[in-house]
Amino acid sequence: MINSITRFIITYILLVTLQILLFNNIQFSGYINPYVYVLLILLLPFNVQPWVLLLFSFGTGFIIDIFTGSPGMHSSATVLAGFVRPFVLRIISPRDGYDSGSAPSMLTFGFTWFFTYALFMVLIHHTALFYLEVFRVTDFFRTLLRVILGSAFSVTFILLIEFYRRGK
Amino acid sequence: MRNLLNFLARFNSLIIFLILEAVSFYLLANGNKYHNTRIIMGTREITRGLEEKISNSKNYLNLRDANRNLAAENIKLKNKLGELSGKDNSQFLSVSDSVFNQQYLYTSAEVINNSTNRQKNFFTIDKGTKQGVAVDMAVITGNSVAGIIVGCSENYSLAMSLLNLDFKLSARIRSNGYFGSLSWDGRNYRKAVLSEIPQHVTISVGDTIETTGYSAIVPEGVMVGTIAEFSKRGGDFYNITIMLETDFKKLHFVDIVGNLQKTEQLELEKMMQ
Repeated sequence: MINSITRFIITYILLVTLQILLFNNIQFSGYINPYVYVLLILLLPFNVQPWVLLLFSFGTGFIIDIFTGSPGMHSSATVLAGFVRPFVLRIISPRDGYDSGSAPSMLTFGFTWFFTYALFMVLIHHTALFYLEVFRVTDFFRTLLRVILGSAFSVTFILLIEFYRRGK
Repeated sequence: MRNLLNFLARFNSLIIFLILEAVSFYLLANGNKYHNTRIIMGTREITRGLEEKISNSKNYLNLRDANRNLAAENIKLKNKLGELSGKDNSQFLSVSDSVFNQQYLYTSAEVINNSTNRQKNFFTIDKGTKQGVAVDMAVITGNSVAGIIVGCSENYSLAMSLLNLDFKLSARIRSNGYFGSLSWDGRNYRKAVLSEIPQHVTISVGDTIETTGYSAIVPEGVMVGTIAEFSKRGGDFYNITIMLETDFKKLHFVDIVGNLQKTEQLELEKMMQ
């Protein structure tokens, strides 16, 4: 138990640092901005209380906001992601359900399940984030393209990180 | 009462969700307003230590270019100095500005935090109110536009980058003087868009675009970039894409320009409205 908590804290610090120092600086044709810190919300255990999940999401978004100088933007997107997480989990739940003590991982549920899970969550998060960032309707389709491309990259990085975590 | 508690228990996650979203939107609405950047400045005060370290280590990678640019600028200034002293115009160097109506004040600063990959980019500068920087001053680098100061704390300032969807600048074509509105379309960090140039004007690729100075913020004649491509597509105006002179990825040493006569101009303009 202690071990999994320590591991989660280390993952947390690592991911936030990676996001701030590396992924926030990626510039690729103005369309692609991966936000891999969403993985932190994906990794919380299944039996986490909804209010803990929401506060955790808000806190994470707020930390990213502080370092990107965009108060409220990431927080509102992550809170939305935290709010829809139980619904997404219910929709894609495997036939025999979840073991309530465990946490979502590729190791337990396989690649396809984790991929679907990450894709749903990242799409929801990125849609909220990118439309809030632009905050106008005129560039609707361009923003949509950014959502899709950004999500594709974020999911790829999230899967890579998850692969690495599985390897350990 | 019990009903209420039951209700809360049943929908508690929805309620917390709504509360947290409300907080986020409050932050979003207040923190990102053009002139109300206090929250950003407050958090910048907290994170600036780390940001300065990041910026310092990044600067090592750009030292060669920075040095070359500084040397070039030095030579240019020395030439200017030679010109001035050659004319034996000793009065010009006197301190009393009121006689010669000096309009712009320059001070140099360093960029300590910068972004180019968002839709609304800002950068932080290591000078603030203590050093005389104020909101609505222009930031230029070398001889090209970089942004406008939108918030100041004691020792730091936040500038809205040209790479910001909210950034608008009056700019003209140097060769014929036709002016239009310059903005960024959020696509490429090297390119901006010049609109409102009528189609009867002759323009060609490579024409220099410079500022007009109408805004009382950016001085006249500061270079913005060159025309990269243009097309006539519907309407009466050209679609002009501009290759920006400033490489925002290498933005490091900047000059902050204050307009000494800004209040005078603005008051006059207000009187006419």
